[in-house]
Amino acid sequence: MLEKAKHADPPETRFIAPGHTFGSVTEKISSAVLTKRTPVSWFIGFAVGFALLQALALGVTWILVRGVGLWGLNQPVGWGFAIINFVWWIGIGHAGTLISAILLLLNQKWRMSISRAAEAMTIFAVMCAAMFPLFHTGRPWLAAYWLLPYPNTMSLWPNFRSPLVWDVFAVSTYFTVSLVFWYTGLIPDLASLRDRAKHRLLQIAYGVLSLGWRGSARDWQRYELASLLLAGLSTPLVLSVHTVVSFDFATSLIPGWHATIFPPYFVAGAIYAGFAMVLTLMIPLRRIYGFEDFVTMRHLENMAKVMLATGLIVFYGYQMEAFFAWYSANPYEWFMMKNRWTGPYAYLYWTLIFCNGVAPQALWFKKIRTTPLLLFGICMFVNVGMWIERFIIVPTSLSRDFMPSSWGIYHGTRWDWMVFVGTMGLFLTCFYLFIRVLPMLSIFEVRTLSTSAVAKEESGHA
Amino acid sequence: MSELRTQAFQAPPDVDRIQRVALALGGVALLVALVGAVVDTEQFYRSYLLGYIFTLAIPMGCLGLLMIQHLTGGGWGMVTRRTLEAAVRTLPLMALLFVPIALGLSHLYEWTHAEIVATDRVLQWKAPYLNPTFFVIRAVFYFGLWTTMALLLTKWSREQDATGGDDWRLRLVSGPGILLFGLTITLASVDWVMSLDAHWYSTIFGLLFMVSEGLSALAFVILMTFFLSRTPEMSRVLTPKRFHDLGKLLLTFVMLYAYLAFSQFLLIWSANLPEEVTYFLIRTRERWQWLSVLVIVGHFAFPFCLLLLRDLKRQANRLAMLAVIILAMRFLETYWLVVPNFRADQMSVHWLDVTVALGLVGLWLAAFCWNLKGRALLPVGDPYLEEALADGHH
Repeated sequence: MLEKAKHADPPETRFIAPGHTFGSVTEKISSAVLTKRTPVSWFIGFAVGFALLQALALGVTWILVRGVGLWGLNQPVGWGFAIINFVWWIGIGHAGTLISAILLLLNQKWRMSISRAAEAMTIFAVMCAAMFPLFHTGRPWLAAYWLLPYPNTMSLWPNFRSPLVWDVFAVSTYFTVSLVFWYTGLIPDLASLRDRAKHRLLQIAYGVLSLGWRGSARDWQRYELASLLLAGLSTPLVLSVHTVVSFDFATSLIPGWHATIFPPYFVAGAIYAGFAMVLTLMIPLRRIYGFEDFVTMRHLENMAKVMLATGLIVFYGYQMEAFFAWYSANPYEWFMMKNRWTGPYAYLYWTLIFCNGVAPQALWFKKIRTTPLLLFGICMFVNVGMWIERFIIVPTSLSRDFMPSSWGIYHGTRWDWMVFVGTMGLFLTCFYLFIRVLPMLSIFEVRTLSTSAVAKEESGHA
Repeated sequence: MSELRTQAFQAPPDVDRIQRVALALGGVALLVALVGAVVDTEQFYRSYLLGYIFTLAIPMGCLGLLMIQHLTGGGWGMVTRRTLEAAVRTLPLMALLFVPIALGLSHLYEWTHAEIVATDRVLQWKAPYLNPTFFVIRAVFYFGLWTTMALLLTKWSREQDATGGDDWRLRLVSGPGILLFGLTITLASVDWVMSLDAHWYSTIFGLLFMVSEGLSALAFVILMTFFLSRTPEMSRVLTPKRFHDLGKLLLTFVMLYAYLAFSQFLLIWSANLPEEVTYFLIRTRERWQWLSVLVIVGHFAFPFCLLLLRDLKRQANRLAMLAVIILAMRFLETYWLVVPNFRADQMSVHWLDVTVALGLVGLWLAAFCWNLKGRALLPVGDPYLEEALADGHH
């Protein structure tokens, strides 16, 4: 299963710079964790993230004290930032699962260098996403009573026909499987850190976390079996989670929500947003930590190609929405579309078309795919665009529904923004802690791409 | 792999035999169908549309797969490329075979009747799009585009056999080509199938149509690949590993189709809107419901369970047998898609449904075999061929 680097590859197509040995890979990646000298940029990034995290703390505290009335929700717009942010964060997580599960099953060895950070991103993104359903309940300590299955003697709740309940199952399964997958992958590397750590406390900490890993043949055999099974379990989750999220909207009757294209279009959008976020994280990281040897230009290019492909599916979804709004001959559908084009949120709609539809077309050009700074710029457009997409879907339809007499306009309040920006703080804080205490690339997998592994395989063939 | 030569990979003589049998069978079936056309003109056109949609799925799916494999590379694309190419070169024939549909519009589509449109506000709204002139113009445009892409891709691929070396033009056409393919096939699915019930719409329909064509094409390709693997030269290339890959791809398409079809069903059922839900009400009525169940079981559950088995995917003959079943199910699914629009009250099979389909498939298969001959069965000039065929590494 651990696909060996192919000796037939010419150097420029390798997924690792030439000349690396087992030792140099281990040294390079683990030293980022075991070093005593933390880079200055780490402190800056962590400080920013931690400061933003305070916004979350403040926002959430005040919401618990005063109630969710602080958010901009009212009639007719009863869904706003909370669901937009939830979908945005959940979507971002999908790239990690795709990289670690589907690309593993497809024997795509380039996934090895980016899977660890991408999986961490998934977990933190799902944590951020969870904030919104949790706190939108107003009194989250009662949420368990509303949402989790219990002997339903009152026949009232949970309503198993509601996609919101399916969401609880989908997302909690997703989080659990992602966490277990991520941790399983970490075990051999935690053992490497245990063996290399100088400080007694670190040795104990990594020793406990590595669960007694010895690196024996039996350990590896079980490890590989576990990875394969977890990959198989995670693969349906790549599709199912965002499909269920799309059902939240599409099972309703609201024009602009009820569209049968929603499930595949949401899934493609999730992968699109996720790869944009992986690139947003990896492009600076590889530079700061000098990991250009491991996260090569070819990695960036492959991820850019996935973005281009999924972005085109998303754009296809926009076109289908527009075409069928007209073709349906349903006056409400057609009004919804015209309202998006020219209504009060039209400026957002056209920004969305630019960010998600027009800007990523630059990825057709190899020059742009292989220039990290330009690629980073495109990813930023997509990060913003995917948030706007959910904004266009949610309040635009609700603010002007069937009855003009009950139309209204929606804007997020400062508390909406505070909680949203606060989750970015939560994400950054978690991510910076992760890259400080755990290997951000998979040491043992990158080793299999190295020159030593190639040499070993060649001698094995002879 | 050093002796990769054009001569070594010629189509086996059996292809000739299939071509003759298919042509004879198809010809006879179409002649009989022509008698039916005189007796019951309306039924002839309806059966023709069914047979045509089923047959066209194979070359159209092959066109999509051909462009995808030019963009992604990989061993599966290398060993199937010539089959895909032979299939897409039948598109000019399929364009010709579209003529009867254009002639029989008034027997097929409600919106062609001015007196019905005059009393129906929905049809009036759609008239700028759904009118005979624009319908034909669009069809000409679709076939023009598809044929151009198909002929360019196969022409350059042929040149590559002689010249060798990497041909970037193949990717240059395939990239934007797959986009245009997706858009045109979506519109074509609206024109030819969805507008049979001009009040009904579903935004996922184009995607579902595309995937179902991919499934038809892949099942056909697996069947042909199995057939070609029996020649000594090809058998060295078409190892169990190749069939394993194709089997996994087939499983993906089976699941993708089911995923999209289920999404469409769940959302329409759940919303229960009068203009949408009729689609499923008709198809769950009386005998139609048994066909629905058969499609769920035969088109999804049965192949899904079998394709999970590793051994089945690696045994070419068994995989080919499953491909035949899937092709049969594809016909039933197309039947389920098209025919309820004409016979909403009760499911029944007209003898023309089968005869015309046989005729079109026979004719198409003969054209396919004719295209398959004369070129090497592998793209011998492709610089990535040896790498892709180096077993165990990819």
